[in-house]
Amino acid sequence: MIKYAIRRTLLAIPVLFGISLVTFWILQLAPGGPEARFAQNTRVTPEQIAEFRARWGLDQPIPVQYCRWLGFCNPEVSGTVLGVFPSPLALIGPNAPWPNFLPTAISGADNGVFHGDLGFSIQNGQPVTDVIGERIGPTIILAGTAWILWLICAFLLGVLAAVKRYSVFDTGFTIATYIGYAMPTFLLGLLLIFLFTQPPLKLFPVGGMWDVRTIPSFGTDAYWQMLAQQPLKVLGDLAQHLVLPVITLMVVNVAGDSRFIRASMLDALDQDFIKTAKAKGVSDRGVTYHHALRNALLPAITNIGLEIPFLFAGAIVTETIFSWPGMGRLSIEATRNFDYPILMGVLVVTAIITVGANILADIAYAVVDPRVKYD
Amino acid sequence: MATLQPSIEELTPAPAPGTADYEVSLVSLNQWQLAWRRFRKHRMAMIGTGLFFAIILISFVGPFIVPYDPLSISTPIKGCGSGCPPSFAPGNFHPFGTTGGLQRDIFALVINGGRLSLLIGVGASMISAVIGAVVGGVAGYFGSWWDGILMRICDVLLSLPLLFVILVVANFIGQGKGDWYTVLLVFALLGWAGLARLVRSVFLSLRGETFVDAARAVGVPSRRIIFKHILPNAISPIIVATTLSIAAVIVGEAFVSYLGFGVNPLTPTWGNVLSNAQNYLSQGNWWWAFFPGLFIVVTVLAVNFMGDGLRDALDPRSRL
Amino acid sequence: MTEALAAPPRPSPAPDQPLLDVRGLKTYFHTLDGVVKAVDGVDFTLPRGGTIGIVGESGSGKSVTAYTLMRLIDIPPGEIAGGQALFEGRDLLTLPMGEMRRIRGNDIAMIFQEPMTSLNPVFTIGDQIAEAVKLHQRVNDREAMNRAIEALRLVGIAAPERRVKQYPHELSGGMRQRAMIAMALSCEPKLLIADEPTTALDVTIQAQILELIKAIQERTGAALILITHDLAVVAEVCQQIVVMYAGRVVESGLVTDVLLRPEHPYTQGLLNSMPSDKKRGERLTAIQGVVPSPFRLPPGCKFAPRCVYAWDRCQEEPELLASGERLVRCWLQAPGETARRARFEADAAATVEALLNDESEPGFAAESPPA
Repeated sequence: MIKYAIRRTLLAIPVLFGISLVTFWILQLAPGGPEARFAQNTRVTPEQIAEFRARWGLDQPIPVQYCRWLGFCNPEVSGTVLGVFPSPLALIGPNAPWPNFLPTAISGADNGVFHGDLGFSIQNGQPVTDVIGERIGPTIILAGTAWILWLICAFLLGVLAAVKRYSVFDTGFTIATYIGYAMPTFLLGLLLIFLFTQPPLKLFPVGGMWDVRTIPSFGTDAYWQMLAQQPLKVLGDLAQHLVLPVITLMVVNVAGDSRFIRASMLDALDQDFIKTAKAKGVSDRGVTYHHALRNALLPAITNIGLEIPFLFAGAIVTETIFSWPGMGRLSIEATRNFDYPILMGVLVVTAIITVGANILADIAYAVVDPRVKYD
Repeated sequence: MATLQPSIEELTPAPAPGTADYEVSLVSLNQWQLAWRRFRKHRMAMIGTGLFFAIILISFVGPFIVPYDPLSISTPIKGCGSGCPPSFAPGNFHPFGTTGGLQRDIFALVINGGRLSLLIGVGASMISAVIGAVVGGVAGYFGSWWDGILMRICDVLLSLPLLFVILVVANFIGQGKGDWYTVLLVFALLGWAGLARLVRSVFLSLRGETFVDAARAVGVPSRRIIFKHILPNAISPIIVATTLSIAAVIVGEAFVSYLGFGVNPLTPTWGNVLSNAQNYLSQGNWWWAFFPGLFIVVTVLAVNFMGDGLRDALDPRSRL
Repeated sequence: MTEALAAPPRPSPAPDQPLLDVRGLKTYFHTLDGVVKAVDGVDFTLPRGGTIGIVGESGSGKSVTAYTLMRLIDIPPGEIAGGQALFEGRDLLTLPMGEMRRIRGNDIAMIFQEPMTSLNPVFTIGDQIAEAVKLHQRVNDREAMNRAIEALRLVGIAAPERRVKQYPHELSGGMRQRAMIAMALSCEPKLLIADEPTTALDVTIQAQILELIKAIQERTGAALILITHDLAVVAEVCQQIVVMYAGRVVESGLVTDVLLRPEHPYTQGLLNSMPSDKKRGERLTAIQGVVPSPFRLPPGCKFAPRCVYAWDRCQEEPELLASGERLVRCWLQAPGETARRARFEADAAATVEALLNDESEPGFAAESPPA
C-alpha cells in the first residue's frame, strides 16, 4: 500500500513538470508582459523598460527563465546554447561543482522552486512566497468550510433521495438540484448579495473577510491576539462574513454531488446482492445503509477526488465577488498586472494541492474497495 | 420416429405454421429510433430542448425584430435633463430597464448578446468534442506509447485549474479586446481533455471485445474498425458530454467576460453585459444583473435537461 | 437422467399438513407498454421435506413465482394480483413485512442464479454468512462466525477458517455458489428455494453443486423448490415436477409419472427436444415457434399456436384437469377426446422410449414405465 502511494506520487511528478512548463510557456509567449503596464506611460523611456526587463531577467530566452525559475539553473550565469537553451555551465551552482538544484547547503544556490523560492512579485516586489502565504489562509478557510459542508449535505440529500425514490421529497430534490446545478456561481453570488445585503434583509456584510472597523487584518499579530482574547467576537465576525460566500460555493456542488450520490446509490440498490441481502431477512435500513451505501461510496470517492481542481476555480469566482482576500482574487489581480511570478507561484501551489488530493483520493479508494490490487 | 410429427392432413386443420410466429410481431427498432422514443417520453428533456431552441431563435432572429441598437445610449424619456435617474427601471420603453452609467437598453443587449454567447458555447463544445474524440480514440485504440503521451497531456490539461488558465490565456491573447472567436478557440482548445478520457475508456473496453478481433481476422483495416465499429458505441457518451459542455462553456464565457478578460464590450455577450452590474446593486438597480443572469440560467437549465434526457435515452440500460 | 427415471420411485413423504400450499398465485407487472401477467394462476403443494422442480423456458414465470413467494417483487411495477401461498398455514402473500423478514433466511432461504454478482463485493463471505446468523439467532459475533465456518465446511469448502476472511472476488464461481448455499443453510431453514443455481456455472461444477444440494436436502430434511429449465436436473433431484408455460402451470405431478408418461404436448415437446444417442445424425427437433410475447398472449390455450395437436377447441383456455396427484392443462385430457389423446399418447410413448433406450448411457437396462 505504501508502495502504491509512492508509485502514484512518482507518477505525478512528470505531470507537475508538464503543468509548470506549459503554463510558463504560455505566459511568456503571450504578447505583452509585465512591462506592458508602462506602455501607456509616456514618461517611461525605452532604456528604462530595457533595464526593467534585464533586472527581472525578462530578457533571457524562455527555457533559461524556466530553468532559473525551477532552480535548475544558476541565475548568475548567462550564456546560451543555440541562443535558446541554457548553457550547461548554468547547471552548476555557486559552490562548484555541485549542481544547482541540490539543497542550498550543498550547492549554495537559493533560487527557484527547488529551493523554495518562487521569485518576487513584479507588482510590489514582495517575495511570492510571502504573498501566497498571506492569501492561502483565507482561501483554505473559505474553500475548506464549503467543501466539508457540501460533502455532508450532498451525502445526506443524495442518500435520502435514493431511498425515498419517486416520493415528493425526491421530486423536490430533483427540481432543486437542477436549478442549483444550472445556476452559475457568480450569478448566485450576485443574487445572494442583492437579497441579503441590501435594505429589506440586510443580514450579512457585502464582502470582505472581517469587519475592518472593529477587527485587525487577518494574519497580523494583532488579529491573533484578539482571537485569543475575544474568540467569540472574532469567530462570530468571521462566521458572518463566511455565510454568503460559502453558500455561493456550496450550492452548485451540493446539487451536482448529491445527484451523483443518488445515482450511485440507485445503482448499488439495483445490484443482485441486494436481493440476496433481502432474501436473508436484512431490514430495509440494513440494506440501504449497510449493503448499498458501502458500494455507492466507491464511485463517490473518485468523483470527489476529481472535484478538487474545481474547488479552486470556484474560489476564484467567489473571492472576486465577495472581495475575499484569498488566492483566487490574487490570481485575478496578478493576471491583470501580468505579474508572472505570482501567477506561477499560485499555479505551483494549486497544482501540488490538486495532484496531492488526487493521490489521496486514489489511496482512499484503494482502501475502501477490497477489489483493488496494490501492485 | 415418423409418427412423432403427424402430417398435417391427418388432423383436423391446425393453425397454420404461420400463426406460430404471429406473436413475434413486435416492431423492432434500431438504436436511434429507440433512443428517440425514450427521449420523447422524457418530459423534462422535451421542455429543455424546446426552451433551448426558443432561445436560439430569439437570439438570432430577435435582433432583426427588435429595433434597438444595443450599444446606443438611451434617450431619456420626456427629456428629463440633469434630473434623470441614474438608470431606468423596466418599463414600457425599456422592457428590461437600462444599465447604470451609460444607460444602455438591457433588452437589446440581452437579445443581441445571446448570439455570441450561444455561438461560443456550441462552437467551442463541438470543436472540443471532435478533438477529444480523436485524441481519445487514438489513445484508446492504439494504446502503448500513443496512449501514454496523449494521456499525460490530458492529465496536464485536467490538472490545470481551468479557469485560471482561461483567464490568463484569454487575457493575454485578447488583451481585453478579445474577439468572440478568440474566446471560442481558447475554450475549445482547453476543454477537450475530459472528453478524451471518456472516449479513451470506451475504446479501451471495446477494443478487447471479440468483434474487433473478428474484424481484424477478416482483414478490416484499423481505420475502418475505429470509425465504423467502435465509434458508434462511443457516440452516445460523446453526445451527452458535448451537450452538457455547452452549458459549461456558456457559464465560463460569462464569467470570463464579466471579469473583463473575455469578449470585448463592443460586441455584447451575456457575460460582458454583466461587467459592472455588481456596483450598481447598492443603488437598487437589480434589473441589470437580473435579466442577463436569467437568460444564462434558463439556457443552462434547458441545456442540462436536454443533456440528461439524451443520457437517459441513449443509455441502453436505462429504465424509461 | 434416464437412470434416475428407471430407478425405483422414491417414497412419498408423510401425508400431514403440507409445508407449502400455493393456490392460484398471480403476479402482474405494470409496464409502460402494458400489463405483463408474469404469473397467472399457479398451484402446487409441497410436503415437509419434499422436493419439487419447476421447469419452463425463459419467460415462463418460474423465477417470478419464487420471488413472489419470498415477497421480493418490487411492488410499484409489480403487483401480487391474487392467490395464496400458505406456509405452515400462514399466507406468505399477506404477511406484514416484519413477519416476512423473520421468515426470510430463517424458515425459507433462497439461492440465486448468478453467484458472481449475488454476493456483496465489499464484505468478506464470513461477514455475510454471519450476518444471516445474527439476524435470526441470538448469538454473539464470535459464535456467529463459528457457525459461518461450519456452514462453509458443510458445503465442502476446504480450509473454511481461511476462506471466511476472503472477499467474493477471491473465490471461483463454483465456490461462490457454495458460499451462497452455506449462507442459505446457516439458519437451518425448512424450505430452500434454488433459482437456477447451476445455470451460470461450468458443466463439471454444475454436477458438483447439484450433488451438494441433493445431499444437503437429504441430510437436513429441508424441502426444496428447484427452478430450472433442465429436465435432467429435475429428474435427478426432485420428487415432484411442475411444468410452466406463459405464466401458467401446464402439467404437474410426480417426476416419474410426468416424465415417463407426459400428458401435455409441451412436456412431450421438451422431452422430444433432448438430444440422445438414438437420434445421432438426425436433426434436433425443436418445438416450432417461439414463446409468445407477454403483451400479445394468444386467446385460449397459450401453447396452441405451437402445438401440433391443436384443434379449434384450443381457442378456449383449458382448465386444470386433475387425475389423482396429476394436474394437466390440456383439452387432450378432457373426457371425450379419446381419439386425439390416443394419437398424442402414442407419440409421447415413442419419445419416452427413445430416451429410455438411449444407448449412450452405459450399463443401463430399461425397465418398463409404471402403468
